[in-house]
Amino acid sequence: MMVLRRLLRKRWVLGVVFGLSLIYFLTSTLKQEERTIRDRTLLEVRDSDHRIPWKVRFNLGNSSRQITQCRNSIQGKTLLTDELGYVCERKDLLINGCCNVNAPSTRQYICKSCLANGCCSIYEYCVSCCLQPDKQPLLERFLNRAAEGFQNLFTAVEDHFELCLAKCRTSSQSVQHENTYRNPQAKYCYGESPPELLPV
Amino acid sequence: MITLLCTSCLYTNWGFLPVVGMEGEGGAKSSSDHTPNVEALSSLSVTNCSQLTLKLEFSTKVVEHEYIVGFTGYFSAKARSLYISSALRSAGDGTLEWHIVPRENPASDFPSDFELVHIRQASPSSLLTLEDHPYIKRVTPQRKVFRSLKYIPSGVCCGPSPATSPRSCRQMCSGRWDTPVRKGPLTLSFSTHLLQNILKCRSVKLLNKITSISLACAGSGVKVAVFDTGLSEKHPHFKNVKERTNWTNEKTLDDGLGHGTFVAGVIASMRECQGFAPDSELHIFRVFTNNQVSYTSWFLDAFNYAILKKIDVLNLSIGGPDFMDHPFVDKVWELTANRVIMVSAIGNDGPLYGTLNNPADQMDVIGVGGIDFEDNIARFSSRGMTTWELPGGYGRVKPDIVTYGSGVRGSGMKEGCRSLSGTSVASPVVAGAVTLLASTVLNRELVNPASMKQALIASARRLPGVNMFEQGHGKLDLIRAYQILNSYRPQASLSPSYIDLTECPYMWPYCSQPIYYGGMPTIVNVTILNGMGVTGRIVDKPIWQPYLPQNGDHIDVAISYSPVLWPWAGYLAVSISVAKKAASWEGIAQGHVMVTVASPAENDSEVGGELTSTVKLPIKVKIVPTPPRSKRVLWDQYHNLRYPPGYFPRDNLRMKNDPLDWNGDHIHTNFRDMYQHLRSMGYFVEVLGAPITCFDASQYGTLLMVDSEEEYFPEEITKLRRDIDNGLSLIIFSDWYNTSVMRKVKFYDENTRQWWMPDTGGANIPALNDLISVWGMAFSDGLYEGDFTLADHDMYYASGCSIARFPEDGIVIAKNLKDQGAGAWFNVGQQPCWLTGNFLICVSLVQI
Repeated sequence: MMVLRRLLRKRWVLGVVFGLSLIYFLTSTLKQEERTIRDRTLLEVRDSDHRIPWKVRFNLGNSSRQITQCRNSIQGKTLLTDELGYVCERKDLLINGCCNVNAPSTRQYICKSCLANGCCSIYEYCVSCCLQPDKQPLLERFLNRAAEGFQNLFTAVEDHFELCLAKCRTSSQSVQHENTYRNPQAKYCYGESPPELLPV
Repeated sequence: MITLLCTSCLYTNWGFLPVVGMEGEGGAKSSSDHTPNVEALSSLSVTNCSQLTLKLEFSTKVVEHEYIVGFTGYFSAKARSLYISSALRSAGDGTLEWHIVPRENPASDFPSDFELVHIRQASPSSLLTLEDHPYIKRVTPQRKVFRSLKYIPSGVCCGPSPATSPRSCRQMCSGRWDTPVRKGPLTLSFSTHLLQNILKCRSVKLLNKITSISLACAGSGVKVAVFDTGLSEKHPHFKNVKERTNWTNEKTLDDGLGHGTFVAGVIASMRECQGFAPDSELHIFRVFTNNQVSYTSWFLDAFNYAILKKIDVLNLSIGGPDFMDHPFVDKVWELTANRVIMVSAIGNDGPLYGTLNNPADQMDVIGVGGIDFEDNIARFSSRGMTTWELPGGYGRVKPDIVTYGSGVRGSGMKEGCRSLSGTSVASPVVAGAVTLLASTVLNRELVNPASMKQALIASARRLPGVNMFEQGHGKLDLIRAYQILNSYRPQASLSPSYIDLTECPYMWPYCSQPIYYGGMPTIVNVTILNGMGVTGRIVDKPIWQPYLPQNGDHIDVAISYSPVLWPWAGYLAVSISVAKKAASWEGIAQGHVMVTVASPAENDSEVGGELTSTVKLPIKVKIVPTPPRSKRVLWDQYHNLRYPPGYFPRDNLRMKNDPLDWNGDHIHTNFRDMYQHLRSMGYFVEVLGAPITCFDASQYGTLLMVDSEEEYFPEEITKLRRDIDNGLSLIIFSDWYNTSVMRKVKFYDENTRQWWMPDTGGANIPALNDLISVWGMAFSDGLYEGDFTLADHDMYYASGCSIARFPEDGIVIAKNLKDQGAGAWFNVGQQPCWLTGNFLICVSLVQI
């Protein structure tokens, strides 16, 4: 006990204690700062070394596979896109969920309303355009550098159609200041990069 | 005449906050007698219960000499007795011995539509004469009903749950039926058939505080998402947590607050404090940090994941005032359009009116308010009409339904149970009920966000003495909802389903003032729910059909409606005004509006087929002769800024409680007391939803401007001056406006990541000064506070300006108050702040 007390009185011991505390203080402060920075950028695009383990099965565009039942985009006010990339009006939807390809207004792989940056003003056209077979490299590039915040979503996606449905939805990348769209005219994006941030 | 009265604005929580916060109120209660069903019940244990089934026996016996006399309407006890005696007297059988059997229950003070009569030696003829009476509908013999509930060992549980341990099993099934079943008109009548269907195995909370049943297999096959503060991994109450995901910047999936665990427990806990649907597939989305921070962007990504996972029911015990947050509102629409049934808490900002939270105020969402176990609307439950429609319209009815939200028991953060209050609690009660319903419905195809909402509101039990802007369609009734849903055919329906402007108090405030020729049209914002499909349209146009014998031609009805009903819903705005020929007429006018809704038929083999559904909206109004000008007061709604005005800030670094006036001001919301007072003094109050240039001032005695935030156009100023010269009175309630205070109440908004500075003070005093300068009047930018007495009435002047200028021949009633600019406490919202010189220091009241 006595030894300990005497030791504590020594100046160099106090110095070491102070030094260690200082180091601890500085490192923890810096770490916290780093963490807040990281948190802020959680949903922004990460550097290319980070990959999410996506497992999307792309279907090759040339396969004219026969399909009896279609999934479709369900939600549309007037339009729907089926998994073969056809966009049709609700009234032209067949009972099996596929678009009636013989209806005059039905179109496949249509990029109507889409801009050069891969953002469209109508969701159904975004999905249809995204389903074009030649969009596969673009989508793969996106998946390979997708933000960490999208990991849940894009690792759960299983095929090209689900990927396009999910990719075209508005997301954290569609907004600025949280409660406004970056581009309210073209907010559904299949492309690699989100809409430009508008100057405040 | 100009009156000054400075009210401080009414503030509440900004942005998305978990909607619990009334711990004090519920906490005390719940520990005593209001612990529903759980603990008292679980003491009775039944062994080997995984092989038990519930059997209900039912038999009846006629009671001799006793008859139930049913009337055509609701009459008081005195009137009923009068009718029966007059009916029996006309039978001419003077020897008939009869008396009314007294029914002593809480309902006996209220009018009733039946009477129990004891008649000795009743002959068939005397019973027939009884039925001849104009007010008597029918006479039936009284029956005694015997009901017994038993557990009987039987086969397998439904659902994939044979792996339950004996312990958990015993707790799930413990003798729930040994509780008294309340007798009287409120007792739920359930049939054997129904119980066997719903509660195939074990069951169920009947949402009656006394009767409770609980099912282990309830909810199986339904995917429920809980968007909240997370859930710890090995919580003992949950057996089917399918997935937990984190959408926040904190690296954890666990709940550090207890809010999310509680909510999940109310839906799906399988032991102790049991939830509704223990077998449902739980998807836990952590979207709040332990500091209750959340961003719209986190929600957007999490919602997308919920769509991908094909969630069936999604509980959002959160809300915020910002319905102008377009990305969020659009996303909620997208969810329901993908058949996700959204259940959300209406908010904890009551008892103030105009305090509904988004997204619960959306047409496609089931918005849930809270009641206590005595069926009173819980004080905290947000209420009032929706504010999306202002200033042009009036506002829709919300919440949709109410259910228990006070002192409800749910799962504790790590283990055990606790009780909480708040609409956060009421919302999962409904979400749990919806899950249970969805899992038991025979045809799952028919379940969609609209049909579920239709079933809930059609089956809800209306609470007496409460208006529709507080209770919506009434209290959740699970059994009736089940019955409706199981016999459901896709159709459209309206909310409210009728417009009776004479019905008080349910249709308050409509019923509080009759309509008259020349008044501002009465607008009722009706919601069309369309269970036939996510998208629909109105065929042709809605048609107004006046009932000529009921004076229907005395009113004019104009209708506007959604061009497309999407998702699952749309609006129908009914504008009612009195026809010129009824300018001095008094009476009741009736008619109805017919609407036909069509949706593409999805299961039709014929392409292009449509389902249609026609609904009728009965309308009934009371008309009086136009009151004299001096009795007519016009409330200026147009210059109260539409709220939320644009993009509203959410959180505040310095002041945790929010700093802004998001409740806005309306004569039926936060100035409701003033409205009631004016009405009781015989004034007729109308609302001006258009610029001042748009009304005929010769019809009105007074224009009322309260805390106006909007500026005035030069044309408006010119017109108002002319109107005042022609005899219009003007009452202005000003508020404070002090630029140095405004600079100090600026704050950083975490949500939009911007600094925000108020556009005006409590009112836009510079604009008001422009308006009144011509009469030599002006308000100051000072800030005062204090008590005063006027006509024996003690008043408190919370914080407001003073009168800077007033004409010499005018009358000023003056009182020296404390100058807050010199250093004083004053309220910014509900928050005490100390203002001195250049400093404003506010005390934060952090609430959970």
